[in-house]
Amino acid sequence: MSTDAQAIHHESFIVNLGPQHPATHGVLRIKLTMDGEYILDAEPIIGYGHRMHEKMGENRAYAKFLPNTGRMDYVAALFNGHGYVCAVERLAGLTVPERAEYIRVITCELNRVASHLLWLGAFLVDLGGFTPLLYCFDDREKILDLLESVTGARLTFCYFRFGGVCNDIDDTFVNGTRDFVKLLRSRMPLYHDFVSTNIIFRKRCEGIGLLSADTCRRYGATGPVLRGSGVAYDVRKQEPYSIYPKLDFKIPVYPECDCMARYRVRVDEIVESLRIIEQALDQLPAGPVMAPKVPKILKPAKGDCYFNVESARGSFGIRIVSDGSENAYRLKLRSPCFSNMSLFQEASRGMLLADALALLGSLDLVIPDMDR
Amino acid sequence: MEEGSIHLEKQVDVPPGLIHFSKLDDILNLARANSLWPMTFGLACCAIEMMATGASRFDMARFGCEVFRPSPRQSDVMIVSGTVTRKMSAAVVTLYDQMPEPKWVVAMGNCAISGGPFIFPGQYSVVPGVDKLIPVDVYIPGCPPRPEALIEGMLKLEEKLVGYRRKSWPTVEAK
Amino acid sequence: MPDNDWKTRLVACAARDAAQQPLVTETPHATKGSVLEVTVPAADVVAAARILDNAVFLIEAVTGVDWLAEQQMELVYDFVQMQTGERVTLRARVPREKPELPTISAVYPGANWHERETHDFFGIVFSGHPNLTPLLLPEDARFHPLRKDFAP
Repeated sequence: MSTDAQAIHHESFIVNLGPQHPATHGVLRIKLTMDGEYILDAEPIIGYGHRMHEKMGENRAYAKFLPNTGRMDYVAALFNGHGYVCAVERLAGLTVPERAEYIRVITCELNRVASHLLWLGAFLVDLGGFTPLLYCFDDREKILDLLESVTGARLTFCYFRFGGVCNDIDDTFVNGTRDFVKLLRSRMPLYHDFVSTNIIFRKRCEGIGLLSADTCRRYGATGPVLRGSGVAYDVRKQEPYSIYPKLDFKIPVYPECDCMARYRVRVDEIVESLRIIEQALDQLPAGPVMAPKVPKILKPAKGDCYFNVESARGSFGIRIVSDGSENAYRLKLRSPCFSNMSLFQEASRGMLLADALALLGSLDLVIPDMDR
Repeated sequence: MEEGSIHLEKQVDVPPGLIHFSKLDDILNLARANSLWPMTFGLACCAIEMMATGASRFDMARFGCEVFRPSPRQSDVMIVSGTVTRKMSAAVVTLYDQMPEPKWVVAMGNCAISGGPFIFPGQYSVVPGVDKLIPVDVYIPGCPPRPEALIEGMLKLEEKLVGYRRKSWPTVEAK
Repeated sequence: MPDNDWKTRLVACAARDAAQQPLVTETPHATKGSVLEVTVPAADVVAAARILDNAVFLIEAVTGVDWLAEQQMELVYDFVQMQTGERVTLRARVPREKPELPTISAVYPGANWHERETHDFFGIVFSGHPNLTPLLLPEDARFHPLRKDFAP
């Protein structure tokens, strides 16, 4: 290669993507160094949605932090609450009535379906297809109706309490959920016809955005991203909590490592979640939904506790260091999006910009969860 | 300047139009009110409710404000949907400045109104209300506001533009 | 090849207490989040991370705790084994006046962001880190909000 050709070859320019850009799903900014259409380096600059939940955890009594949990990963708000109440219950030695555990799992799995539906719609908008979004939101609204009838909120749920849940579910909810499970199951072939077999979608996804299992491990990526790389790691199976050991469900795993694999994992997870919901409704025991005599002001013993739940985006962890007072001494939130995003810089190197955005969409990011 | 407010390099001040054509202005405002183009500008939780408002069930298109534009230069309403952080504030002001006149701002949700639940002693990161940065026309309370509330907010903005409430207001009967 | 002997090698890495016993606690999973908690000397975190990397552990989080009364900063590293679900928590303490310890981002690239976040919040310096600039805080931030003596 002559020196002139080398000089042309190394001519690069910098493109700023975000913090206001529709493909970044919020306030993410990526500093791209481009060579033509190819990415030489993509440096994510995060923190535009940083609201400092961890400090709030130290400033507030345990119960007063509960509403915050719904505002971190607001698309799958119940999981954060689940992780938090489980951690505090373990620290304070509270036991939860069985019915409450079932209700927690039912509502969480409904929330997982809602989250994956939202992701599906938004991901396809990223890839240029608008129509599926309308179908996804149509189904998602039905879940939100069900959840609203028990939690009182549409999005930022604050439903779980230490020692149970704040409202019992009634027959309307149970029957409505059963109807919804049937309905969504009948809609799944429609989604497959619409999306999975669509040639444009497949060309944008198959073989694009390869993430090896080892990359995921060294970056700490979990959830559908890791399972789309062929690793069957799911907190619900590996470290079972709540009533998950009593339920029969599979962990969808695809070894292709590309965007299509991550799409298939999520779509299969919707079906598995519906199975979980049905089984949990069948087994739902009668009884109270709150443990008796939960103190109004909790003062857990000194110590620390780490608890993980499988959120819709991966392993959501919470570490509480207690000094025996009514506030936590330290509250660490391990958000799945943070780790999932950190691999983007390495994974996007050498990709076409349009493909990198498909990869970004397939990671399923919620920016305020990442920035906390 | 009150505590917690942010110093801007220049004061944002919207100049009134120099020449008014009273009847033509009325007609123009009627046209504007019925085709508000919001900017796709999701900051946090409220953005999901904003998406829901634009999507199938609530369908903002019924009121002419469904054309979400990703570019500030093509839009005339900025729906500030979520928490504005100090790191983000410069970008919010830039986006506002990039929008062509006439332009309006809707502060959606408690965070955009006052910082909402994220204001506590020791908070260093959240701007206590977007009106510390840019002028706001309509405030929509809620954490997050329901899609109906956002639609009501947009109708209020229409009302501000034309001076009266939309005539063909659909009535909703309680079940 | 995954390293099956990681546990003994990790315990050999651990710091010793006054009675020369390694600072290791192994707890059953149901009562505490972690299976194995190992306190290592601050200089040895890289060696410990390398042992875990060879044993195919996934990095979950790196964080700090500010122990103001003891004038110490504690570093907490969480790892999980993807196949077995085993958990390892590494702990290391550094003095509060000079909080500095080596980075593990050469072993686990995912630690890069976690360490930047910990530097943001606590001001702990990870020596050898490729890019220890503010991540979540604004670029020009000169404060560390999770220090117990932080006042805005």
